[in-house]
Amino acid sequence: MINVDALTKSFKNVQALDSLSFQAKDGEITGLLGPNGAGKTTCLRIIYGLLQSDTGKAEIEGVDANINPIGARRNLGIFPDKFGLYERLTVREQVAYFAGLHGLKGKEQKTAVEKVIEKLDIAELADRRTAGFSQGQRMKVALAQALVHSPKHLILDEPSRGLDVMSTRILRDVLREQRAQGTCILFSSHVMQEVAALCDRVVVMANGKVAAEGTPQELCDMTGEPQLEDAFVKIIGTDEGIAA
Amino acid sequence: MSALTSVWKKEFRDAIRDKRSVLAAMSYAFFGPMLMAVAFFFLITQLTDQADVEITIEGKENAPQLVEFLGERGVVAKEGDWAKTETPIVLTLPENWQQRIREAEPVEVTLRADWSAQKQQTDIKRVEQAVQAYSSQIAAYRLTLRGVDPRVVQPVQLQKQDLATRGSKAALIMGSVLVFIILSVFWSGMNVAIDISAGERERNSLEFLLSQPLSTWDIVTGKALTATSFSLFGAILSLVLIPIIFAYVPLHEIGMNVNFSVGMMLLMFILLIPLALFATALQLFVSFRAKNFKEAQTYISFLLIIPMAASFGVEFARLKNPILYYLPLTGQHQAFLSLIRGESVNVMGTVISAIATLAAALLLMKYIARMLKSEKIVFGL
Repeated sequence: MINVDALTKSFKNVQALDSLSFQAKDGEITGLLGPNGAGKTTCLRIIYGLLQSDTGKAEIEGVDANINPIGARRNLGIFPDKFGLYERLTVREQVAYFAGLHGLKGKEQKTAVEKVIEKLDIAELADRRTAGFSQGQRMKVALAQALVHSPKHLILDEPSRGLDVMSTRILRDVLREQRAQGTCILFSSHVMQEVAALCDRVVVMANGKVAAEGTPQELCDMTGEPQLEDAFVKIIGTDEGIAA
Repeated sequence: MSALTSVWKKEFRDAIRDKRSVLAAMSYAFFGPMLMAVAFFFLITQLTDQADVEITIEGKENAPQLVEFLGERGVVAKEGDWAKTETPIVLTLPENWQQRIREAEPVEVTLRADWSAQKQQTDIKRVEQAVQAYSSQIAAYRLTLRGVDPRVVQPVQLQKQDLATRGSKAALIMGSVLVFIILSVFWSGMNVAIDISAGERERNSLEFLLSQPLSTWDIVTGKALTATSFSLFGAILSLVLIPIIFAYVPLHEIGMNVNFSVGMMLLMFILLIPLALFATALQLFVSFRAKNFKEAQTYISFLLIIPMAASFGVEFARLKNPILYYLPLTGQHQAFLSLIRGESVNVMGTVISAIATLAAALLLMKYIARMLKSEKIVFGL
C-alpha cells in the first residue's frame, strides 16, 4: 500500500504540492489524474525518494521515502517520467542490470529476466540492442525494467504517452494482470479514456491538492455528469490541459 | 557491494561498445608518443648537424693558409647570396697579411656578424674558435722557433668536465615524455567519464538509475571505476609504446641513454593508479553538472588545462620546492623525474602524494554522491 500523507513541496516561489493526501491500495489501480503542472510528477518523485517533501510523508509498506528512500524503492517498480534506454546494451542485458540493482543474482536473476521477457512478449527483441527501437518497443523495455524484480508496487508516470493503440492495449493488459496478482498500481495520466478504462479509483489533482477522489462512477455521480471527462472539468473548474 | 559491481560491469560493457570512447582512449596513447618521437627525431638531427659553416670571406687570396685551415675546421666560403632574413657573417682578411705574419706583427682580422642572432650563435662561435686556434698554432710555431716551450704562455689550463651524465641529459628530453605519460590518465578516460555522467543525463536514463534501490555512492564508485579502467588502459598503452617507439629514435647520437626497465614502468603504473582515480573523479564532478555531452566536453577541456599547466609549468620553470613532492599530480611528476634520472625516489614524498591523491579522489567522489541527492543538480531546479 502506498500512503501519501499531507505532502507539501515548493520550488522557489512555486507551490507544487499543497498538503496532498491519498492512498493507493494493493490489488487496485489508482489513477492520478490532473492537468499539466498539477504536481503529478512531483508527487511520484517524492514517493520514489528522488525529491524530499517539505512536510508530510509518503510511505510504501510503511517505509517513509523521505527517511529511507532506498528501503522504499526496494518495494517499488518504477516507470519514470523519462525513460532513456542504454542503446548499446541488448534488452536482456538492460533488464538484467536493473534486476541486479534490485539484488537479484545468478540463476535467480536469469529466471526473473526470462519471466518478464516472456510476460511482455519481447523474446524477439531480447537480444537486440535498443538503438532504433520504436516508441512501443521502448515502452515494453521500460516496463520490463520496472517489473523484473516482481515489485509489490508499481508506479507509472504517464505510461501511455506516445503509444499507438496496440501498444496501449498491451500496457493495459499488463497492468490488469499485475492487479490480479495483488500489485498496488499507481499511475499518473491526463488522458481521460485511459483512466476511465483502467482505474479502480481516481484521485483528481489540481494545483497540488486533491480536488476529488473516488471510483470513476462516483466522480460522475458526484458532479451529476454522465461522462468522466465532464465530471473532471467540473471538478477542477477548467478544461485547460486535458486530453480527451 | 553487489550493486557497485553491477554498475561497474554494466558501465564497462556499455563503454567498451562505444567506439568513440575506445578510440579516444587508444588514440592519445597511440599517436602521442609517435608524434613526440618524430619531433625528437628532428630535434636530434638538428643538434648533431655538423654541416659546414658558410660565411663570406673577404680577401681570401691574402691568406690562403688560413682559409685552408678554416676549411679543415668546417668553416668555408659561402657560394651563394645570404638570405634576406639573415645577417651575413663576414670575415675580412687584410692585404698586408703575408707581410705582417712574416714580420711577426699582429694582423687585424675583422669578423662582422650579429651576435644577438640566436640562430647564428653556434656558427659565429665556430668561426671565432677556428680563428683562435689558428692564432694559437702560429704562436706555438714562433715560440718553438725561438727555443721556447709553447707551454710557458699557457700557465693555466682549464679542464672542462661535463658533469651532465647520460641519464640527466636524457631527463631533459624525457621530461616532456613524462608530462605526456601523466596526462594520458587525464585524456584516456575522459570520453567515458563524460558519457556515463552527462551522457546518461542527456539520454534521459539518469532519473531511472537514481530511482533504483542503491546508494548514490555505489553509482558514483561504479562509474568512477569504469572511467578509471579506461584511463589506466591508456596509461598502460603509453607506458608500453613509449619505449618501443623511442627505440627508433637515435637518442644515442646526442649521448642519451634511455633505459626503461620493466621495474620502473611497473612502479610508474602503480603511481598512476591513484592519479587516474583522481582524474576521473574530477571529470565526473564537472560532467555531472553539465546538461549534455557537448557542455561537459567544453567544461572538461578547460579542466584539462590544470594538469597540463601544473606538469608543464613545473617542467619548464624548473620549479624546485619540497612541497611539490607531496601534492597530487606534482608528486607523481617528481617521482617520475627521479626514476628517469636514475636518482633515488623520495619515498616519503611519493607515498604521501599517493595517499593525498587517493584521499582527494575519494573526497571528490563523496561530494559527487551527495550532489546526486540534490534536487537542484539532478533536475536542474
